Amino acid sequence: MKKLIYPMAALGLIVASAFTVVKSQDWKIADTYSVKFDGGDPSGEFRGLKGTVSFDPANLASSKFDATIDVASINTGNGMKNTHAKSEKWFDAAKYPTIKFTSSSITKTGSGYAAAGTLEMHGVQKPVTIPFTFENNEFKGSLEVNRMDYNVNTAEPNHGSQKFKVDIDVPVTK
Amino acid sequence: MFKRAFIHGLVAAALAAIAGIIYNRIYYFATETDFSKIINVGSIIGISVLVCMVATFIYFGLVKWLGKTGEVIFSFLFSLISFACVMIPISISLPLDIKSPEIFPGLAVPMVFFPAIAWYTIKPLFAGKE
Repeated sequence: MKKLIYPMAALGLIVASAFTVVKSQDWKIADTYSVKFDGGDPSGEFRGLKGTVSFDPANLASSKFDATIDVASINTGNGMKNTHAKSEKWFDAAKYPTIKFTSSSITKTGSGYAAAGTLEMHGVQKPVTIPFTFENNEFKGSLEVNRMDYNVNTAEPNHGSQKFKVDIDVPVTK
Repeated sequence: MFKRAFIHGLVAAALAAIAGIIYNRIYYFATETDFSKIINVGSIIGISVLVCMVATFIYFGLVKWLGKTGEVIFSFLFSLISFACVMIPISISLPLDIKSPEIFPGLAVPMVFFPAIAWYTIKPLFAGKE
């Protein structure tokens, strides 16, 4: 019987610890999402948003965002600008096909929530915080991105905007 | 005299509009891309009439002022402006809900020449009557 004490204790710890892992609600990204950027000229949107959204307002510690955007899906409304944006000079979509955001922590704020994490674009990783709201199964957030921070066409700092306001609107379903 | 120029412009507008509408349909069937928010029957007719009527006034003014030289200047001017207008469909930003803006110039660039082509096509019918 004594021999079984430690194995049983270990088993008990395993079973008990399983209850401490509370998983957040997983959400599916609805097709009606929009990721728009506004730098005056150019402005436009990205399609091709994919990822996992695990979010529970009651359990922010286990909530997590992991999303990628297909760089080649950029649409400024102008074919010539789209081609330029995907070229080696700007986003270099062939070499860096995705823009990625991975959250490390989600916290409650006065007006909603804030997702802190890493934004990877054009091969450069930067820590960012995205303030967002979650109402009626819809995430809404915005952030400002400076293309110079991500080495996007640093050779021409005055060609178009440097700072872009990015508005993210992601309806989700269970 | 202006009546002749006016009819010339009107017929050119009608021809340009017909050519534009036909080309628009062909382009739609070839690419299955809908640009009707920007280019449709109404806008093709409207722009054709507008361009040809403006051309009528300029033509009439130049011919009245400079005679045969005015006609030559007008021809150069019309061709030059039509060519310069190529930049409009290339540089325009379409609404974001329109798919494949890359192929929009393929539709609109040829169309900018239709009023001038129509004008020159029927020019012999009105030659020497101004």
